[in-house]
Amino acid sequence: MADVESPGPSQLSRRRFLGAALGATAALPAIARQAGAQAKPTITYWNGLTGADGKVMDELNDQFTRETGIKVEQQRIQWADLYAKLQVSVPAGEGPDLALIHLVEIPHFASDGILDPIDESTLGTKGFRGEDYIPSTWQGGIFQGKRYSIPLDVPQHILYFNVKIMKDAGLVGPDGKPKVPSSGAELVAMAKQITKGDTFGFALGTLNLGQYTFGFHHMLWQNGANIYAPDLKKPGVAEPAAVEAAEFWGSFHAQHKVAPPANANARDAFTAGKLGIWLAGSWNFTGLRAAKVDFTVAPVPRLLKQPVVWTIPHQYVFPKPKAVDAAKRDAVLTHVRWMSDHVAEWTLKAGQVSALKKAHSDSRITGDPVLRTLLAQAPNWQFGQATPRWVAAENVTRPVIERLYIGQVSARAAMEDLARQINALPA
Amino acid sequence: MLRKARLREGRLTPWLFLGPGLLLFVTFRVYPLLDGLYLSFTNARLGRTQPAFVGLANYERLLEDTRFHVSLWNTAFYTIASTLPILAIPLLLAVLLDRGIPLRAFLRSAFFFPFTLSVVTVGLAWLWLLDPVVGPFNYYLKTAGVPVRSWLADPSTAMWAIILTTVWWVTGYYLVIYLAGLQDIPPELYEAAALDGASGWRRFWAITLPLLRPVLLFVVVTHVIGSFQVFGQVFILTGGGPGDATRTVVQHLYETAFRSFFQFGSASAMAWVLFAIILGFSAIQFRLLRGHTEF
Repeated sequence: MADVESPGPSQLSRRRFLGAALGATAALPAIARQAGAQAKPTITYWNGLTGADGKVMDELNDQFTRETGIKVEQQRIQWADLYAKLQVSVPAGEGPDLALIHLVEIPHFASDGILDPIDESTLGTKGFRGEDYIPSTWQGGIFQGKRYSIPLDVPQHILYFNVKIMKDAGLVGPDGKPKVPSSGAELVAMAKQITKGDTFGFALGTLNLGQYTFGFHHMLWQNGANIYAPDLKKPGVAEPAAVEAAEFWGSFHAQHKVAPPANANARDAFTAGKLGIWLAGSWNFTGLRAAKVDFTVAPVPRLLKQPVVWTIPHQYVFPKPKAVDAAKRDAVLTHVRWMSDHVAEWTLKAGQVSALKKAHSDSRITGDPVLRTLLAQAPNWQFGQATPRWVAAENVTRPVIERLYIGQVSARAAMEDLARQINALPA
Repeated sequence: MLRKARLREGRLTPWLFLGPGLLLFVTFRVYPLLDGLYLSFTNARLGRTQPAFVGLANYERLLEDTRFHVSLWNTAFYTIASTLPILAIPLLLAVLLDRGIPLRAFLRSAFFFPFTLSVVTVGLAWLWLLDPVVGPFNYYLKTAGVPVRSWLADPSTAMWAIILTTVWWVTGYYLVIYLAGLQDIPPELYEAAALDGASGWRRFWAITLPLLRPVLLFVVVTHVIGSFQVFGQVFILTGGGPGDATRTVVQHLYETAFRSFFQFGSASAMAWVLFAIILGFSAIQFRLLRGHTEF
């Protein structure tokens, strides 16, 4: 009896337990809501930084997560595959929250509805202002009156010299520094002086030199020509200035025999001491330093009519989501803002010059001879034309300029063929 | 009733076994095939949600696409030029290994090893080996006093370099198939021929080759089908270059679909033309090499 009536510890505990359980169950949605309100979103971020720069981006992403609590799931994909993947995944609603792409890709992605435009007021809330950027990079993010991107950095060409080869060829000044050619003719003359056996005087590009469209574009731009006429509809490659540039571009290997074969790996050749003067991407210099190659750099000289420097800026874009998620978009903009504020670290570690003016006066950057040279080229930066047909035209350019490189076809015939192929591209 | 139920059960059982496989086959083979056929009659682009019907326009464009014509010719050349070495070299090695030469197991493994590598690995390895400036191939040729050239950058040698790479890569695979075929030939046939005084060469022509006919058919058909679809080696070694010297149909198709405006309609039309060609060639090969082989 006493057992039944007395409030024994086990009976009381069961009641308490049941009460507590009921209370907890009732409170669960509220707890979940609170937790949800506090949880930071995870953002997905795709880019083509598959080299050493990708690891730097990883480190910066980790630092960003530590400071903000926003997790970044980064996918590093080869650039060409990244673009195909974006084209497929975004319409299916499976795209990333953020992507880093090249400026020339924006027009076709924008016209295909792959990217979300960003309005100026949204940018303003995160402190993005045009006057903080190199004007050409900021303006480059606008297509048909709408802004689709925020600039990050400006990969560009620079002139590398292999110091030992230059010394061996007697191409150094009284100060012991390699001589810098001041014209196309002088470059060819110097390259001829260097070329001997399996050592080449000059190369333009890194891999597959014959198909290096970036180098071909560079020469076109230096001669005041371009892929498309100013109306961005008709091809401009059959114009006399373009043919002249093509002739110059094709002469290094086919005519003067100073450049390596069309499929050579110029970076390996330069590293191995078999290439003297190398006009190539700024992204190579950190690798050359790591390989302890004795090299110096100079700004890209005026080889043709204008001292234009080829660039292909990296820009942040916002792939169109299946459904708008304000919290995610805010987190993405927070990330871009954070990266923009830490862009000097990016420049120093990855070797990519910032599109933000502020980083250009950072003493750590101006103190580096290569970065200083890259910064000095800013007034001469140029990039691809803002047309959705640019990338497709670039694709048909490769085999044409390779035939030119190996001397299979004349510059005029090559450019007329290229113009015909560009005309035949679908509208 | 029971009998009917059993009959019904009997009819159902094979379908239950076939079902999962058929489902996968229809989902991942038949449906994409038919969808590709549909796309070939549209102006579909990757990412475009509403492609419009364009009739035969994509096929008509192929008639004018000179780069497609070049790629067809290159593919045919690659197929023809690579078939003979693919038939002969593994067969020769298989016959030698079948004779019980020393280190047979080691050699068989050594020959098979390249086939265990992916096409990307093989391509990158040969790209470096054949590099005109820093590659060892040219280095040793030069050391031996042989004139060197840019094997992959010269239109006259680029396709041959790709064929060489392919032969090196797949020889081990066909070697194993030939070996299996050789081991299936009853040894008493060779004993009888030897008793009749037939020479080794005669035994090869009169016994080995005829009895290997099904294996040869398999090798030729699979190799020709694979050759028409060659892509990986070309993509890595030359990217279709120099110029268009090694541009094959699949390389051209890939660039049309993924590099040049994502033209899936045109690329699908190319794929169907290629499919028709492969189907035609396979039918011819079956007809030519058809025959009874009884032991």
